Amino acid sequence: MNASAISIPHDHGHHGDDHGHHGHVTLQYQPGLPLTRGKLIMWLFLSTEIMFFAALLGSYVVLRFGAPVWPKPHHVHLSEPIGAFNTFVLICSSVTIVLALEAARANKASLAKTWMVLTLALGTLFLGVKAYEYQAKFAHGIYPWSPRSRVFEKPDLYYGSAVRARLGEPAMIDRLKELDDTPEDKLTADEISGRRRLKQIRQMVTSPDQQPFDLAVVADQVMPLPPDGADPHGGHGPHGLNDTFPWLELPAVIPGGTMWASTYFLLTGFHAIHVLVGLIVFAIMCTWTLNAKRAGGIENAGLYWHFVDLVWIFLFPLLYLF
Amino acid sequence: MSAHSRDPHDSHAAHGPVTRSGETADETLEHAAHAHEGDHGHGGIGKYLLVFAALCGLTTMSFLTYSSFWPWRDEPQVGWAFMMAVSCTKAMLVVLFFMHVLWEANWKYVLTIPAAMMAVFLAIMLVPDIGLRNRMVAQERALHMARPSDVRLLQQAGESKLLSDQAH
Repeated sequence: MNASAISIPHDHGHHGDDHGHHGHVTLQYQPGLPLTRGKLIMWLFLSTEIMFFAALLGSYVVLRFGAPVWPKPHHVHLSEPIGAFNTFVLICSSVTIVLALEAARANKASLAKTWMVLTLALGTLFLGVKAYEYQAKFAHGIYPWSPRSRVFEKPDLYYGSAVRARLGEPAMIDRLKELDDTPEDKLTADEISGRRRLKQIRQMVTSPDQQPFDLAVVADQVMPLPPDGADPHGGHGPHGLNDTFPWLELPAVIPGGTMWASTYFLLTGFHAIHVLVGLIVFAIMCTWTLNAKRAGGIENAGLYWHFVDLVWIFLFPLLYLF
Repeated sequence: MSAHSRDPHDSHAAHGPVTRSGETADETLEHAAHAHEGDHGHGGIGKYLLVFAALCGLTTMSFLTYSSFWPWRDEPQVGWAFMMAVSCTKAMLVVLFFMHVLWEANWKYVLTIPAAMMAVFLAIMLVPDIGLRNRMVAQERALHMARPSDVRLLQQAGESKLLSDQAH
């Protein structure tokens, strides 16, 4: 049981202020858990959050290990150093919010404000890095939903027809003609080689003698999968036609990539929403005088923020390093 | 029993906070919390910085699995187990020190253990329908789903240098 359900005064000499005005002690029944209502509500909320993220992380793990193929982090243009940096940023913000709480408890309002502003800045930095990472996915046609996503699971006939359809778009035909007509001295060596390979791909996807292996070659030219173990620090691997000519935006093949995109954006997206909510709370708190009276509020906001950090502690290895 | 009662000099700990007349329960608890700060200030900036250093060190350790120094690159399971152990340690540090759970009374178990058990059940309940979904699949689906052979096919295409050979 908790010790404060019933309050019994004990130490008469030491804590003089425990007595009422008339020299006798007032006994009052203390209902509930020995913590403030705000903190109790925050902890109840956090216990629902544990289940919320457990469901998301659990489905990710179960989907990932039940899938016949799952893309390697480099196949989907994930950069581990960026993920590690974001982990570091979030850990730092956890420290600054806990220091803000300590300062507020010691009634050092301006120091608490400094730590709070720093927490806000670190959280914003985290979201900024996250946005940059999302941009890298979008630039490679990796979206969580179908009409925008250019990711195909395997180099089959559907993939071939999608490439053919993209190359047959009126705007694309004009653009390709423009590229074909550009004299060689106006192109870089990479673009000259790219143009030559692009021509061969255009023949391959329309040829009546097409072999199944041709489509794998097309997929490899459009966006190659970095080989296993090679170039662990490069992050982006070899150059494909989509990188040489960013306007091409051809469909690419990443085996297991569509499911990967769904889980990645769902997990990191919900986490980012939680970060955003925390930042709004911190921004509001930055307008307050953060003295000892506000310590309870800062503690509750801090509990929430540490939980957000906690989720990222599991997300980082599961998404970036597994 | 309160976690604080390990300290025999702490009268609040032995009997809980005393509510003064005209005070709400929340105010009592606020005062009690402040009294504890004075008594044995459980946080302490030094302790937080130590935990911070440990968290940074642990992050570096899990990052090690990605570096070329990691000796078990061919057995990913070793790395996974290692990273999960590191993550659980980091989570424990954050929960115990930053969330002050180490110094909280026993209500912490009431709120966290059932939620954690539910979390584990949730993940386990997904296994039959989702984790094992590809054990038996329709022929139609088998035709269209990605398989390890597709990855090999793409790698062969990358190694074949078919297009660059044609250029010469």
